[in-house]
Amino acid sequence: MNDMIDIGLGELLTGFLMLAIPVLVFIYFRTGMVKDVFISSARMIAQLFLVALYLDWIFDMNSAWINSLWVIIMVLIGAGTMVYRVRLSWRIFLVPLVLAGLLSIAIIDGFFLGVVIRLDYFFDARYFIPISGMVLGNSINHNIVGLTSYFEGLSKRRELYYFILTNNGSRRKAIRPYIQEALRKGLGPLLANMSVIGLISLPGMMTGQILGGASPVTAIKYQVMIMVAIFAGCTMILIMSILYSNIFVFDKYGNIINLRSGKQIRNNSR
Amino acid sequence: MIRAKNIQLSFNGKTVIKDLTFEIGNGENVCFSGASGKGKSSLLKMLQGYILPDAGSISVKGLELNEKNIATIRSNMAYIPQNVNLPVNNGIELLELITGDKPAERVFSIAARLGIPEAMLEQGFDEISGGQKQRIVIAVCLSLDREIILLDEPTSSLDDESIGKLMDVLKGPGERTVVSASHNHEWIRFADRSIAL
Repeated sequence: MNDMIDIGLGELLTGFLMLAIPVLVFIYFRTGMVKDVFISSARMIAQLFLVALYLDWIFDMNSAWINSLWVIIMVLIGAGTMVYRVRLSWRIFLVPLVLAGLLSIAIIDGFFLGVVIRLDYFFDARYFIPISGMVLGNSINHNIVGLTSYFEGLSKRRELYYFILTNNGSRRKAIRPYIQEALRKGLGPLLANMSVIGLISLPGMMTGQILGGASPVTAIKYQVMIMVAIFAGCTMILIMSILYSNIFVFDKYGNIINLRSGKQIRNNSR
Repeated sequence: MIRAKNIQLSFNGKTVIKDLTFEIGNGENVCFSGASGKGKSSLLKMLQGYILPDAGSISVKGLELNEKNIATIRSNMAYIPQNVNLPVNNGIELLELITGDKPAERVFSIAARLGIPEAMLEQGFDEISGGQKQRIVIAVCLSLDREIILLDEPTSSLDDESIGKLMDVLKGPGERTVVSASHNHEWIRFADRSIAL
């Protein structure tokens, strides 16, 4: 395999000429998005170069503590993003979502790195950080969709929950339709993506490995494994986020508390 | 069967139920009556543990209504809500959501007595009338065969003929305690006793 061709500064700037296409389209249709194109591009460049700098340092150190701390920071940022996007109470839901993220990533990394790849050094930054990052990064969007569906369902269609709760007596049964819908909405797109991978989309990791000089067969094997890890990880993070959150969503009588403020709704007028 | 002692309930500082005491015997048919806002529906929710009284106590089958007993108490109840616009496709799906099983013959026979043909239980809720939907929800809940039946405004979408059929079904064999909230005079007369709020 050949070494990967480096992109020089001149070529990098030339590459940015591709942005002329969306800019011209936006100008022609007067979308008012031209400024956003430049701001977003500038942010992307700054953020990725910063990442390159600290990843360089993290990879050099290759310490179990630093690498684990980095993954914990990723989990915290991911959980914070979910709480913010789903518009939940920080005070109540940050902890369950962080716990869900940490436990899921520990299980997925443990299996993928420890059992499948069988790394000599489990916390090797070359594997530990990108694999955790890919699982967590992918889980954010799917978890936001799934959690939004779950909490909106309980909030806007609570009459069905109470109906099942009285008539069946089990809270587990009463929340099942809401969990089913959250899983369908949250993970359905990921399943659809898996089914067309290679046909419509060429995944970034595989393309990156091939460009980096790896054999396409090795790259494909990694890609298959990482897709399975992402799917299992997203499922685990979503279901654990829901189950841990449920500790705070219901009171001891099964009443749904206010999901935004976390305040108990007494005399619930459902 | 059901005992309430000195119940008090207020919403936003306004007293809705004041010092209410009642007892409902095994197999009795009792209706809470009164104008809107008098706390009829709230009282049914209190019996299910969804609203807690400000003062007083409630017991069902000798069990005090509290966190510890609430699951056991609910397992004796079937609740038919006033709002039957539940987000489900049809009656069979509703039944499966509650029981987790395929429908038993019992639900079809109760539905038939309420004037609902078997096929209608599989018909989309968006294709049938409010009255048909209400009768389906009633059939589903009654098929659970619980000792206590709670009905919130059971006549709200029903015509006179359907109300008569529902009364016949509730009077039918098997001892069950019926507790309803209604301001329909015919329904109040059907009850063994009414408690005015």
